[in-house]
Amino acid sequence: MKKSEWSDRELEELLMQMPKIKDHRDPRDIYQNLSLNKRKTKTWLLPGLAAVAALLLFFILVPKMNDGTNFSFDTAQEEKSSGNSQAMKAAEKDSTIAMKDQASTPNKSVSETNDKKMELMSAASIKTAVYEDEVGDRTVLTYWIPDSQAQILVPVSIIVPAEKDKSWLTLFVDNMANLKEEEWGLSDYYPLKLSMNIDEKTNSVDVVVPDDHKYGQGSAEETSFIKTLNNDVSSNSTIKKLNFFTNNEKGIEFGNEGRVKNHDIIDVKKHAFFFHFPEGSNLPFLAPSIDAYSDIQSAFADMETNNPTYKLTSSLEHLQPLTDVTVNDKTLFVSFKSIIDMKDDQFTLASFEALLLTAKQFGLEKVVVKDSQLTHLGPFDLTKETKVPVAPNLRDIQ
Amino acid sequence: MDSVFEELYQKYHHDVFQFLFYMVRNKEHAEDLVQEVYIRVFKSYDRFEGKSSEKTWLFSIARNVAIDFFRKQKGWKEKLLEKFDWSTNQVKDEYPIPEEITVQKEEIKWIYKCLEFCTMDQRAVIILRYLQDLSIAETAKALGWTESKVKTTQHRSLKVLKKQMEMSYEKEAVTSEKVGVER
Repeated sequence: MKKSEWSDRELEELLMQMPKIKDHRDPRDIYQNLSLNKRKTKTWLLPGLAAVAALLLFFILVPKMNDGTNFSFDTAQEEKSSGNSQAMKAAEKDSTIAMKDQASTPNKSVSETNDKKMELMSAASIKTAVYEDEVGDRTVLTYWIPDSQAQILVPVSIIVPAEKDKSWLTLFVDNMANLKEEEWGLSDYYPLKLSMNIDEKTNSVDVVVPDDHKYGQGSAEETSFIKTLNNDVSSNSTIKKLNFFTNNEKGIEFGNEGRVKNHDIIDVKKHAFFFHFPEGSNLPFLAPSIDAYSDIQSAFADMETNNPTYKLTSSLEHLQPLTDVTVNDKTLFVSFKSIIDMKDDQFTLASFEALLLTAKQFGLEKVVVKDSQLTHLGPFDLTKETKVPVAPNLRDIQ
Repeated sequence: MDSVFEELYQKYHHDVFQFLFYMVRNKEHAEDLVQEVYIRVFKSYDRFEGKSSEKTWLFSIARNVAIDFFRKQKGWKEKLLEKFDWSTNQVKDEYPIPEEITVQKEEIKWIYKCLEFCTMDQRAVIILRYLQDLSIAETAKALGWTESKVKTTQHRSLKVLKKQMEMSYEKEAVTSEKVGVER
């Protein structure tokens, strides 16, 4: 019946002859598959829920795991990034604190303070140390505070109103609790858990710690304890001796040195002042070196270098090289002629203050700058002689 | 087993299966789809109004199932695979021809092949009209169409088949001639 022409009728007949195709499966199987299928429609639910839960767990756990394993790296990164912004804020805050204090100096004529304010406003950078002309009849207290790693002691000064009946020691003890060490980027060390009294007869201070004191635990603890007290007393008074008591008994029990009954004050002298940047701040503290120097020239030479072990950085980086450093009587003469591109900014000012403080360490009272490109550095008039500061690192405790 | 299922199976299973098979031209697919038909039937059995006969109702469901099947097949997956799989482009009908057809005479095989060139609607009409022996009115009900639409679609599908049959005849003639020459 092969042919090229097909009529509708023929085609219809052919179509009707098409074989019957049958489903050979057992109806029972089909029915079973049906019920399976019915259930199947919901089988995605359980794995789906499990997947969602797993994803949730994944997102919760992964950041924690990262924190755990890459701890140092991650946090370092974080600290770095947040540190920068914090540093900016801290620097801002620090400068406003210092400004406030300097600007609000009492016992001065209004015009004088206004002048000072104007001066501060015109110069963007501010001095950080305490100078004689801004103290008036108030009391300057210097606290030696361990840095955040408890490696060095940083002297921090505050100015408090003088009170007639109170000795420097009473004021010192009273204000210990007001220090904001952590805000400043140092370790929380004060208030000390002890009482102190001046024994005027022997020109000494009696230090009384309670029975359960912890200053003798560990060699680091006891060294920093004695050193802190030594520096505190040395900076704030002319007292030459400390007498130690535990409750009513003489002496304090230290782990390494045993029972120490007294300590002769060693004055902090002939140290060089370096920059110490607390974490999260770009306004440096000026901190004295660990070692003393034989002369100011070698101190200045060392101040051009960094001491990363103690987190002390060069304080003359922005003010070097110093030339013609000479001492005449109690005046330091120094030439800035070799300093190229000297800027009137915060760091240069801090460098100059480090120079002044170091000069003070060597018993000098005035600094005369020669051949300076700039006539003014911050609030300082470089054409005139500059008095060394009363105390370093002025901070506000209000 | 469900009594409803049993009844439906007894009465219509093979007809529905046959319809689906000729629609999708693959036994495995038809087996899956016939189950889908049952699922849909069970879901909407309460709503069956008895306006039409059960048989036409089942066919209309089966047709919808087949249409959905083709829609799914032509989803993004299929399109993507088609792009990469050149073999499917060359051989259009990748499904094997079932045994029931291969044992038939030549013309039946041809017409089975030619059915592929009909559209879904044309194929549905041909199956219902000639294979299931439904009347024009029944076909119209099963497809939800008017009777005239069934008639015109039937006419057109026969035209397509005629054309394809003639073409396959020519092809056959050419190949047999060639064989003859070689001999």
